[in-house]
Amino acid sequence: MTDIPLGDAAPAAPRPARSILETDARTRARNRAETRFRAYGLAALLVGLFFLVFLMSSILWNGLGAFTQTRFALDVELLESELDPEGTRDPAVIAKTSTFGYGDLIEAALAKAVAASGIQTDLEPGDLADILSSGAAAQIRDRVTADPSLVGQTVSFDLLASSRVDGYIKGRVTRESLADDKNLSPAHLDIVDALVADGTIARSFNMAFITGADASEKRPEEAGMGVAMVGSLYVMLTVLALALPIGVAASIYLEEFAPKNRFTDFIEVNIANLAAVPSIVYGILGLAVFIQFAELPQSAPLVGGLVLTLLTLPTIIIATRAALKAVPPSIRDAALGVGASRMQAVFHHVLPLAVPGIMTGTIIGMAHALGETAPLLLIGMVGFVASNYPDGALHGFVSPNSAMPAQVYEWAKRADPAFYERAWGGIIVLLVFLLLMNLVAVLVRRRFERRW
Amino acid sequence: MPLGWLFLIVLLIAALGYAAGRRRALAGAGGSLRAMHSLPTAYGWNVAMAVLIPSLLVLAVWSLASPFVLDRTVAPMMAGQDGEIGLLMSDVRRVAEGLDLLGEDPASVSLEGLRERLAGAGVALGQDVSAATLAAAARYKELGARSALLQSVLVLAVALGMGAWAVRRTTPALRARNEVEWGIQGLLIAAALVAIATTIGIVLALIFNTIKFFQLYPASAFFFGTTWSPSFGGGSSLGILPLVWGTLYISLIALLVAVPLGLFSAVYLSEYASPRVRAWAKPMLEVLAGIPSIVYGLFALLTVGPALLAVFGSGGLGWMQGGTAVITAGLVMGIMLIPFVSSLSDDIINAVPQAMRDGSLGLGATQSETIRQVVLPAALPGIAGAILLAASRSIGETMIVVLGAGAAARLSLNPFDAMTTITAKIVSQLTGDQDFTSPEALVAFALGMTLFVVTLGLNILALWIVRRYREQYE
Amino acid sequence: MNDMRLFERAAAVDGVKISAKGVNVHYGTAHALKDVSVDIGDRLVTAFIGPSGCGKSTFLRCLNRMNDTIPSAAVTGRIELDGQDIYDRRVDPVQLRAKVGMVFQKPNPFPKSIYDNVAYGPKIHGLAKTRADLDVVVETALRRAALWNEAKDRLHAPGTGLSGGQQQRLCIARAIATEPEVLLMDEPCSALDPIATAQVEELIDELKQNYSVVIVTHSMQQAARVSQRTAFFHLGHLVEYGETGQIFTNPRDPRTESYISGRIG
Repeated sequence: MTDIPLGDAAPAAPRPARSILETDARTRARNRAETRFRAYGLAALLVGLFFLVFLMSSILWNGLGAFTQTRFALDVELLESELDPEGTRDPAVIAKTSTFGYGDLIEAALAKAVAASGIQTDLEPGDLADILSSGAAAQIRDRVTADPSLVGQTVSFDLLASSRVDGYIKGRVTRESLADDKNLSPAHLDIVDALVADGTIARSFNMAFITGADASEKRPEEAGMGVAMVGSLYVMLTVLALALPIGVAASIYLEEFAPKNRFTDFIEVNIANLAAVPSIVYGILGLAVFIQFAELPQSAPLVGGLVLTLLTLPTIIIATRAALKAVPPSIRDAALGVGASRMQAVFHHVLPLAVPGIMTGTIIGMAHALGETAPLLLIGMVGFVASNYPDGALHGFVSPNSAMPAQVYEWAKRADPAFYERAWGGIIVLLVFLLLMNLVAVLVRRRFERRW
Repeated sequence: MPLGWLFLIVLLIAALGYAAGRRRALAGAGGSLRAMHSLPTAYGWNVAMAVLIPSLLVLAVWSLASPFVLDRTVAPMMAGQDGEIGLLMSDVRRVAEGLDLLGEDPASVSLEGLRERLAGAGVALGQDVSAATLAAAARYKELGARSALLQSVLVLAVALGMGAWAVRRTTPALRARNEVEWGIQGLLIAAALVAIATTIGIVLALIFNTIKFFQLYPASAFFFGTTWSPSFGGGSSLGILPLVWGTLYISLIALLVAVPLGLFSAVYLSEYASPRVRAWAKPMLEVLAGIPSIVYGLFALLTVGPALLAVFGSGGLGWMQGGTAVITAGLVMGIMLIPFVSSLSDDIINAVPQAMRDGSLGLGATQSETIRQVVLPAALPGIAGAILLAASRSIGETMIVVLGAGAAARLSLNPFDAMTTITAKIVSQLTGDQDFTSPEALVAFALGMTLFVVTLGLNILALWIVRRYREQYE
Repeated sequence: MNDMRLFERAAAVDGVKISAKGVNVHYGTAHALKDVSVDIGDRLVTAFIGPSGCGKSTFLRCLNRMNDTIPSAAVTGRIELDGQDIYDRRVDPVQLRAKVGMVFQKPNPFPKSIYDNVAYGPKIHGLAKTRADLDVVVETALRRAALWNEAKDRLHAPGTGLSGGQQQRLCIARAIATEPEVLLMDEPCSALDPIATAQVEELIDELKQNYSVVIVTHSMQQAARVSQRTAFFHLGHLVEYGETGQIFTNPRDPRTESYISGRIG
C-alpha cells in the first residue's frame, strides 16, 4: 500500500459541475447509437420472421390449388357396336377393348357437349379431346369393365379435365402463355369458358390428390400423394420400432450404468458427432451397407426406415439422456434404499418419470426423419416408384415405394409446371403431419412436464 | 421355412421356457417365495433370455452370411461366361427368384421364351437367359433351399437346447435376477454400441468404395482436377475442385445471410426483448428450423429463383441467366440457418454471467456498449463454435442445392452463375440404377468421403470449442 | 465490539451528498424495501448492515438506478443527488452511473486486459482525449486502487488472470477511473480472503478523501472498521441510522441490539 499518497498529490481532475438533469451531447450521441443498435436487432428478428411468413404464404398460395381439381361432367354414350358387338356382356370380351377404343366415344360425347353449350368451333373432335385428361378413357374403361351392364346406355361421367384446362381455371395458364403450347390453344379456352358458364366444367375438392398414386409425366392432373404417404408411414413404423427401443436402451446404459472411462467418453463424443453428420452420408451408408452389402431390396420402405433409424438415433439418445438426467438422484437413492437392484431402480422408478421427455424427443426425432429426403433418394425411394399401393399390410415394408418428401422432389424436377402445384400441395400435406407431430410433442411436454 | 415363421416359433419356445422355468423354480422351493433367491418371474425370464439371445443371433448371422456363401459357391459356374461377374451373378439370382415366382422346375424348364415369361412375373432381365445362367440359377436355388432348411434346423436346435439347459439348471438357489440383469445390461451395451457401429459402417462404406474408385481413377486427378464432366460411356473428367468451390461459395453466401441476422436476432431476443416478445418470437423463429430442407429446396427453385431472376435476369439487370444459381441456393440456405445460428448464439450469450453485464452497466455504459464491448467479446469463442457448426450444416445440406443451385459444375466468381456442390453430385451420381463398378458411380463415394471428413473435422472442432467455452463459465 | 477507537472516529461531515425520502421498492408483488429515508454524507464511508434479504443491497442499487435493469423492479419515493432527483424523467441513467460508480460482490473483471478494463469507463465516457491522457487516467486509477505496483508490468495481461483480491481492486480501479462522486460497494469483500479484505478495507479508508463511499456489508466488524456512519436494515425497513460508534455501542432500537449482539441474523 505504498502507492496510495498519489490520491492527495493529484486530486481528481476538477470537473465542471454538471447537472444530471441535463443530457450532454456525448450522452445523446451514445443514446442514438443505442437506439440504432437496438433497431438492428429488431430488424434482424423481423427479417427472420418475415422470411417465415413469406415461406408459409408462398406454400399456401401455390399449394392450395392442388386440393381442388377441374372436372368435366360428360354424358358418354357407351355404344354397344363399339364395345360389345356381339352383345354378350361378357367382362372378358369387354375388357378386350383397349382405352384407345373409347377415344371415338369420348370425341362424340364432347362434340355433343360443345354443341349443347351453343358455341361454334372450328376444332376437330380429335383436338377437342385435349380438354380432357389423357387418362379419361381409362377412367371410363375401368367403370365399364367393372359393370358391363352399362354398355348400351348413356352414362354421365365426372372426368378429369387436362392439366392445362385445370391451370386455366386456377389462373396458372393464360391465353398468352398458350401461344407456344402444343397441348392447348386459345380456341379450346373459348369452349372451356362456355362450358364453365353452363356448369359442365367445374372445380371440386380433389380427394384423389390425397389418396392417389403418382402419375406419368403426361398426366399431372392424376398425380396424388396417397402411395407416398403410405411409404412414409411404413418408413416411420420402422423408425419407431427400431429407434425408440435402441435409443432408450443406449441412453439408459450411458446415463445409468456406464462407468466413466475413455471408452464411454468416446461413445458420447461419437454420438454428438453423429448428430451433425450430413444426412446424405447416411444415405451412402444405407446404399453401401443395406443394399450393396446385405442385398436388401432397393426402394423398400424397410431400408428407408433402417437408414432413418440410424439418422434419428443420436437425436433420440440425446433427448432421452436429458430426460433421464432430469430425474433427481433422490429417486434412485430412495429405490436403492429399500433394497431394489440398480436395474430395478432404473426400470421401475427412473424410466417411468422420464417417459414424457423420451416421448417428446422421439416425436421430434421422427418429425425430423419424416422430412428427410436425400438419404431416401440414394436407396431408391424416388418419387416415380410410388405408382401402386402395396399388396398387403406386410408387403408395405418391402414393396418398392417412395416417401412424401421424395415425391415432392420428383414433382419439383418434372418439366410440366402443373406438377409444381402438386409439389407445393405435397408440402402442405407434409407440413400438416409435421405440425401435428410437433403439437403432440408440445402437449406431452406441457401436460407432463415436472420440475424438481 | 420363411424367416417370419421361424422367428415366431423361437418366440413361442421362449414363452414356453418362461413358463417352465418359473414353474420349476416354484416347485423346487415348495411354493415358498422365501426359499427362492429371486422372484419367480426372474427365473422365467432367465430361461426366455437363454432361448432368445443365442437363437436370434444365429438367425441373424446366418441370414446375413448365406447370400455370400451362395454367391461364392455358385460364382465359379459362371466363370467362363462373357461379362462382368457381378452382373452375371445378379442375373443368376433374378432367374432363380423368377423361377420360384413362376413355379417352374429348373430341371425341366425350357429356355425358349423364358425371359418373356419372367418379365411377365415381374422379373426384368438385361439379356436372354443362357443355359449356363439357368444351370447356375438351378444350383443357386437348390443351395438356397438347403441353406434355409439348415438354418431352420440349427436355429430351432439352439433354441430348444438352450431352453432345456436353462430349465434344467433352474433351482431356487439360482441367482436368477442377477443373471437376467446381467443379460439386460448386455443388451443395453449392445444398443449403445449401435452408435459406434454406425460410425464404423459409415467409415467402412466410404473407405472401401473410395479405394475401388481410386483404383479406377487417379487420386491426383480427382483432388486437383478442375473439370467435372462425368459421362457414363467412359472418358469422364472427375475433378472435385469445381464442386468444392461451389460448395464453399454457397456456404459462404449462406453464412453471410445467416450469421448477421441470426446473431442480431439472438442479441435482441436475449438482451432487449421483453419476456412476452421472447416467448412468442423465439418459437416462431425456430419454426424455420423445423421445416424440412425439401421445402426450402422448392422455395428456392420456384419462388426465390424466379424472384431473383426478375430483378437480376435479362428483364432487369441482366446479370443472371436462370433462376437456379449460387445466390439463390445461398440465400435460401441462409434463411434456413438463421434459427440455427440464433438459438445457438442465444444459449451462448445467456451463458455470459450477469455479473459481467452489471459491471459494465454500473460504470455507466449503455446496453449496446455493454453488448458490443463486454458480452460479445466474452461470448466470442462460443459464437465461433456456433458459426462452425452452421458452416458444417451448410456444407452438408443437399436438397436446397440440388433444387436451387443448378447442375453445372463450374469455377466462377459470379454468384449469379449456376454451380453445383459435392452433395448435389452425390445425389445425381447415385440416383437411379447403378452398378458400383464404373468410376462415374464410385466417385460419389469419394465425394462422400471428402464431405464426411470435412464436416466431421468442423464438428469436432466446433463441439470442442463450445464445450470448453461452457466449462469456462460453469 | 469493544473496540474503543470507535468513539474517536467522529466523522467530519461535509454535507449531504445523497438524500433519500420515502423510498419503496417492489419486485413484482414482493415489497422489498419499505419507506426508507436516509441522508448520506459527502466524503465519508456509510455502511449498510443487516441480515440477508433485508433490503440493503436493493437500496444500494436504487442509488445508481441499477434496479432499472431488472424489469420487475418498481421504485417509488425520492432520491436526490446534490439536490437533484435521480428518478427525474430528464435524468439519463447512463450519465447518473458515471457519477455514481459501483463495485460488486464478486470480482467481475471483463475478459480484457488489465489496461482495457480500467480504460473501459473513461473510453465510453470520453474522459481522455489522447492515448497519453488515457495512460495517465489508467495509471492514476490503478495507483488509487493500490494495484499499480502489482499490475504495472502486466498491463496487457488479461484481468481474469489476477488473484481474487487483485481482481476486486481492479474492479475498484475500473470504477474510480470514470471519476465518480459516489462509490457504491455491494459486499466487496465477501468473496475475498482476510488478507485481500484488509487491503480493500484500507483502500476504502483512503477513498473517502475524494468520494462519498457507501458499502453494503454482511460483516459487522467490517462496518465498524471502515465506516463513519451505519444504517441497519431489517425486513425491508431502515431500523436505525447514525454514527457508527453509536450504533455499535449504544443502539437505540432493540432489533439493532439483537443483531449486533448476534441474536438475530
